[in-house]
Amino acid sequence: MTTVSAMSGAPRRRRLALSPFDTAVIVLVCVLLLAAVFGPFFAPDSIYTSDIANSLMPPSAANWFGTDDQGRDVFWRLVAGARTTLLSSFLVVTLYSLIGVTIATVAAAGPRWLDEALMRLTDIGLALPSMIVALGFAAAMGPSLKSAIIAMAITGWPTTARLLRGIMRQTMESQFVAGAQVLGVSRWRLMTKHVLPNSLDVLIVKWAGDIGNTVLVLASLSFIGVGAQPPSPEWGATIAGARGYVSTAWWTVVMPGAAVAITSIAFGLLGDIIQVRRDPSLGGN
Amino acid sequence: MFPSKTQKPLVEVRGLSVDMPLAGGKDGLRIVDNIDFSIAVGERVALVGESGSGKSVTARAVMRLDPVARLSGKIDFEGRDLLTLSEKEMRHYRGSSIAMVFQDPMSFLDPLMTIGDQVAETLRIRGIGRVEARKRALSVLDELGVDRAAERLGSYPHEFSGGMRQRVVLAMALVGEPKLLIADEPTTALDVRVQDQVLDLLDDVSTRRGLAVLFITHDLGVVAGFAERVMVMYSGRIVEDGDVHAVFKDPKHPYTRGLIRAVPRIDQDLEELYAIPGAPPAPMARPAGCPFNPRCSDAFDRCRAELPAVLPVTGERVACHLHDRKGA
Repeated sequence: MTTVSAMSGAPRRRRLALSPFDTAVIVLVCVLLLAAVFGPFFAPDSIYTSDIANSLMPPSAANWFGTDDQGRDVFWRLVAGARTTLLSSFLVVTLYSLIGVTIATVAAAGPRWLDEALMRLTDIGLALPSMIVALGFAAAMGPSLKSAIIAMAITGWPTTARLLRGIMRQTMESQFVAGAQVLGVSRWRLMTKHVLPNSLDVLIVKWAGDIGNTVLVLASLSFIGVGAQPPSPEWGATIAGARGYVSTAWWTVVMPGAAVAITSIAFGLLGDIIQVRRDPSLGGN
Repeated sequence: MFPSKTQKPLVEVRGLSVDMPLAGGKDGLRIVDNIDFSIAVGERVALVGESGSGKSVTARAVMRLDPVARLSGKIDFEGRDLLTLSEKEMRHYRGSSIAMVFQDPMSFLDPLMTIGDQVAETLRIRGIGRVEARKRALSVLDELGVDRAAERLGSYPHEFSGGMRQRVVLAMALVGEPKLLIADEPTTALDVRVQDQVLDLLDDVSTRRGLAVLFITHDLGVVAGFAERVMVMYSGRIVEDGDVHAVFKDPKHPYTRGLIRAVPRIDQDLEELYAIPGAPPAPMARPAGCPFNPRCSDAFDRCRAELPAVLPVTGERVACHLHDRKGA
């Protein structure tokens, strides 16, 4: 079933009950989002200062995930870092989606040569490993969280542009687009008012998965040293700062590593869940 | 009536040909071949023919909807040749002078736009204010018998039944107050009862507004009930054009005769349904002479050699050598 006919069919009802696993994923994503938004307000100020006497303590009732080399609570630093990590990821995905949507719309609406030109540009973008390119950009702009965000935004758009342009081309074949054209609607209005809104739903699935992926790449860039810099509580930077203690105090490295893994997996699974639920032909499992 | 005696016709098509370019870039494929017809103000004309006979292409040519199609000839609409207009000028004609509805009311409507916005869109793009556009959308929906239209302006297409949706589609086409409505098989996707309602509605609206309708269909039953005049197309040409009662009572062209014979009748016992033997020729492989000659039981030598001209035969226009011989 094509996206278009799935859209124009019967009213979409909540047909599939959520499985316990789906529920768990959604709860996890909500907890992560809540932690990112509200967590830092509850974090003790001590996570920004050092307390050497209390350094590298194993997990206990007082410090759930133990403390790091500066004696800072690992759990609360992760909560504080969630804001940096998730917010930056949302920003990156939003920015490159805007670029991707613009390029896709112009390509789908424009004359053939423009479409060809933009799609070949997209091919080039797809052919280059985005992480390496982002690394180059971020390094050139001077290592900081801001450079990492900008670098990822300008390298992340090709998949969105390619996917959306294909869907828009397909949507343009729909009768309602032909119908609007017959009634004198101009090409630009046709694209923005009819074709684009009817093509975006596939992207919503992609966005969820992209956030997970971006969390991972951002943490990697920070780990390598071109993203967020210590003492930022950003997860990648935290792992980088603690990697010397992996044999003596595993919790300082494993906990932020697990946070990155769980977050990126949770958003990826959320994407799958949304996809299954909006496409009944996938059977809901 | 044929052809409008008293006043100048609303649309006058002269020598219209449509060529579709081929992938190789050679000469195009001639889909519609040198046709003439006219439609008077308020007249209801049916264009019938098999799939591939060129009837939809003709309709789309009048609206200039295929950017790749090469059109030649003249399409005179209220004194202006549509084929000489720029795309921008043509866009102004679409929706406000000539409107079109398609086969499937389900897919004609944008699933993500409210009914009110969709009906008002034709007006909005012509610079009419939101409030005024909404008011006029509402009055058209009311006119077309959409129940509780005022409450349903904010509803989405999926909340409407097939018949109601077709009314909304009609409202979209009519809100710009066109003078000609081209209906490309508007009832084919509907069940018979709803089909009937939609036809009644079209009949009503066209009478009340003095709206000319070009009705494209392959359903002869629909033609008999709705149209005043019928044009029969075969292989890109109009082979017969005349008053609907005259044509049904006494079809002049063997193809029309075959078409009418092929409609099963409930009052006659039939062992087997009649079908015209053979299949219509592909546009790239039209036979010499009359394109219908290989399937025609009355064909004689001249039919295989010479393309029959469209000639007047007792108040109709027919393209068949049988009648030319009599007339000569």
